Order: sequence, then C-alpha cells, then structure tokens
Amino acid sequence: MKAMLAIPYGTRDFLPLEATEKRIIESKLARLFAGWGYDEVVTPTIEYLDTLTRGAGTDLEPQLYKLFGKDNKILALRHEMTTPIARLVASRLQGQPLPLRLAYISSVFRSEQAQTGRQCEFYQAGVELMGAASAAADAEVVALAIRGMLVAGLKDFTVCLGQVEFVSGVMEQYNLSEQASDALKEAMEKHDLVLLENLVDELQLSEQARRALKELPLLSGGQEMLAQARELALNATSRRALDNLTEIYELLEAYGVADYVKFDLGIIRDFSYYTGMVFEAYTPGLGFPLAGGGRYDHLLSDFGEGTACPATGFALGIERVLLALTRQGLQRPEAAKDVYVGYAPGKIASAISKVTELREEGQVVELAAAPGTEAEARALANQQGYSRLLYLQ
Amino acid sequence: MQLNNNKEYLTIALPKGKLFSLSADLLAKVGYTAEGLTDKSRKLVITNEEKKLRFIITKTADVPTYVEYGAADLGVIGKDVLAENGMDVYELLDLGFGRCHVMMAVPKAERRPQLTDYAQTRVATKFPHIAEQFFSAHGMQMEYIKLNGSIELGPIVGLSESIVDIVETGTTLKENDLEEIAYIMDATARLVANRVSFKLKFERIHKLTEELRKVLALEKGAAQ
Repeated sequence: MKAMLAIPYGTRDFLPLEATEKRIIESKLARLFAGWGYDEVVTPTIEYLDTLTRGAGTDLEPQLYKLFGKDNKILALRHEMTTPIARLVASRLQGQPLPLRLAYISSVFRSEQAQTGRQCEFYQAGVELMGAASAAADAEVVALAIRGMLVAGLKDFTVCLGQVEFVSGVMEQYNLSEQASDALKEAMEKHDLVLLENLVDELQLSEQARRALKELPLLSGGQEMLAQARELALNATSRRALDNLTEIYELLEAYGVADYVKFDLGIIRDFSYYTGMVFEAYTPGLGFPLAGGGRYDHLLSDFGEGTACPATGFALGIERVLLALTRQGLQRPEAAKDVYVGYAPGKIASAISKVTELREEGQVVELAAAPGTEAEARALANQQGYSRLLYLQ
Repeated sequence: MQLNNNKEYLTIALPKGKLFSLSADLLAKVGYTAEGLTDKSRKLVITNEEKKLRFIITKTADVPTYVEYGAADLGVIGKDVLAENGMDVYELLDLGFGRCHVMMAVPKAERRPQLTDYAQTRVATKFPHIAEQFFSAHGMQMEYIKLNGSIELGPIVGLSESIVDIVETGTTLKENDLEEIAYIMDATARLVANRVSFKLKFERIHKLTEELRKVLALEKGAAQ
C-alpha cells in the first residue's frame, strides 16, 4: 500500500462537507459583525516577532512559530488577531476618527500541544472596538459575542464576566509587593488553587486578608455574588471594578442577553494585556472555552508615543463552535444541493443553457462532466447528494 | 452506552492503585460514593443515580487527561503526575494523603562528590519533564531514559548512572543500594477539576471542595 502523505503536527484538512459548514458559520458571523457596524480587516499571517511579543511579554515566545526573514529579522506567525489589529490601528489607521469598529475571521497559529477543537493552526472570528473606554463598549462586545454564538446555532452556553482590576485592587489593598501579587496571579492563571493557598499562607497578613485572597478564584455566581464580593473590596480600584461590572450587566439586560451571563471574578485570561472587564464563554460537553475577550487599554500605547487608545474585543473559536454543535446534537449548517443536470450525447449545449438559467435563479446546480444515460445521471446525482435530477435528451 | 450528556451528573475520575481506596474513602465521608465502587470492579463506570454521580476508574497517568478534556469533571491525582503532565486543570485541594517526594538517587558505592558531577550522564525516570526542569535549573544537560516502572533497576543493570523517582519510605532505595542525593519536590494527592466544569458546575464542585476541606481539617486535628 502506498503511504499516505502526512501533514504537519497540529494542522488539519477541511474536507468538502466540513469546509462548507465552516464557511456557512463564518458567513453568518461576517454578516452579524457587519450588521453591528464592524468593518472587516485582513492583516498578514506573518509579522515581526517583536510586534507580536510587544504587548504580551516573553512568556509568549515558546508558543510562536518562528522563521527568519531575508533580512535575518525574526518573523512569527500571528498567534491571535488582537495584537496585529492594535499594530494596524497604531500605525496605518492613526488619525482615523474614533471609535473604530474592526472585525476579522482568520487563522491563527500556536505551536503547542493540540487540544480539543484547537489544532496548532485554528480559526477565529472576532471584533475589536478601539477608542471607547465606556462600559457601553464592553457590553457591546459581550452582547455581540453572545449573538455570534446564537447565530452559529448554539443554544446552551454561559458567559462568565470578570474584571482584572478587581483582583489587582484586592491585592493592592493589602499592600502586597509586586513580586507577591505576580506570584498569586500566576497561581490563579495556572488554576493552581493549592499553590495560591500556600503562597497566601506564607504572607504576613491578617487572617481576614488571607481569607479574602484565597476566595478570589471562587467568586463565581450571579448578582448576589457581586454583593458578597463588595465586602472584600476595600479600596477604590476594586470597588470601581465591581461598579463597572454592574454597569455592563445592566446594559446586557437591555440587549436581552443577560440570561447567558454569570460573574466570575477569578478569570484571569492568558494574555497579560487585559486591563478591565474580561470574559470567557463555556458550553457543556466541551472542556475548553469557546470564546474569550476583554478590555486592553494599554496595548496600543506599547506601539509608540501618542498612540494610547482604550480598546475592547473578543475572539470566537470556529472549530470549537462546530465541535460543540456536533456534541450537543444540534443541527450543523448544511449546504443545499439542488439540481444535477445530465444529458445525452450531443445535448451539451442545451444542458449548458439550462444550467445557466437555473444558476441565475440562485439554485445550486452541477453539470455532468460527460454525456451519459439517464440511469447513469441518476446514480451520480444521488451519489453527490442532489435533491433533483434534470436529464436532457 | 455513551455518556455524552453529562450535564446533570458529576463525573469523578479515580486512579487505580494505592490512591484509589484513600480517595474513595474520603469521598464516601461526604456522601460521594456509589454501590460497587472498588478498583477491582470490571465495570469501568459506576453510577449513583440517586445522587447523580459517576465514577470512572482509570490508570493513574490517565486521570489528568480525562479531566483536562472534560470527560470527567473532577479527578484525584498525585501532584507528581500533574507536574509531569503539565495539564491545564484546576487544582482545587491538597488531600494530604499519598505523600511522597520526587528525588534523585545514585548507587551508594559510586557516589560522586557533587550534584553537577552527574552532568551529561544518563538518568532513568518515569518523570522526564520534572527531571529536566530540575536539572536545567542547575545548568545540567542530561540524557533522559524514560522507564515505566522499576526505575531502581536502571543503575543496577548499567542502563543509567542515576534515577529520578518518587520515594515514600526509602525502603526500595535501601534494598537496591541506592542513596538519595537531591530532593526535587514534594507530592500529595490533589483534587482537580476541568476548567469548564469548574465554571458550569461551580456550586456543586465548590460545595464538595468545602466539605472535603472540613473533613480533612478534622482528621488533621484528630491526628495531632
């Protein structure tokens, strides 16, 4: 047997049916984003390594696919779209009237262990709202993310809202050193609550302060939880963070999507550029988040003087949506195949004009590649999944 | 039988072997148990319909995989296995049992004066990742030989100059004329949760964690 040609680790092919499903979901999302006033942008797949690591620090480097350019500069494949779009806004789109609403549907690359619904190359659809610092902007992107999951066909999912300033504020109010709070945040980011407890126990703090810090990753629930969190918020930063979440939630009620939303103050997203509201979306049966995003007010100023600009956004994993639809037994999008046109020898010209006419009506039509009998044409039509046969003799 | 719709159920993965009965006993103390829950069971999934609980009994090293992918919501696993696999799960609680430590040992008769004298030698281990982190931190390049059991055999048959393994009492080391020369990390059993389960089934998981925490504190108090 001839060996099958392999593809690199962490990549995949989308076969016709899979590619169709992907395209249908992407088209629905593209329409939705456009309907909310977001303009699509396309950025290069490769960027300078320096650009991608600028906002995120050095931890990121091991996950990037790197290569050398002709000038011997190090290039990298984009690992997400927020940084390239921030680069774009801080350079080519400088001076454009704000706010800017930008959308993308792109592949991104991470050189890491492939996960469920996430190969090393995977597809994301998302938006960035640049130049708006208000809770209204945050509420808009969360509401749009929820609408996105709904138009994709998902029914059962939960969006958890957090606020990184709440965590920072609580750490601030106990005068933790930067080193100590970084260590605690790292333990939270790694989801290692045992390590968090041990680190907190080593700090010289009151019993009450220790309890508050240990409770941070466990602040999950509805509005009643926010009230509980308020008791832990002893300074302006942490209180402001809670006020901000309350305001966003009220706006989400106005959008009619608040039923999908829960609070979780323990969310610290993987990328260090987040500065305010953060969120992740989860669905039963999929062990990984479907979507995530948040506010990142300083990323743009990392790209140069005078480019400071508040911003917020989200990304939705296309393959994860497809996987969740399958796992939950929901209807996956289907491409209609309408008419298969077969013809007897010598009848190709009339077949072509018939086909052209049907296609202009908007039907999906396949023309037989060669003349044949009606029985042959019927067999091919069935094999390709066409609902109707037209045979010209 | 497919267990796809596990929304109402809480699925707990337990490792076969020495951690099994300790975990099952602890969970039983807070009412989390099921009829016929033993690691001798031929059934791979044991269900408690009344309490909406499912137990999966699996090989130790597979527990973090079940939990990371969300096939199980919760699991009990040694910190050594967690650190070795580097999987993205919530580590909720130190269960205190299964205490051991990861260390480096060498044949007593051939002990070299310093740790760094072992640079560029072969080390047999079940934990190549932990071992590599440890040696890299000491600036040592090593040749890692992955074994799946009876690690002590490595130096005896000339497969390696040293081993990195877990030790509870040190008896096995002694019996094989090995001597511990470097401590690497402590390990105890941990309660772990899937990232998404921890969010979507937060109340149930949090309640269980707190109940277990109380039982552990009581036991600790009684032991002192």
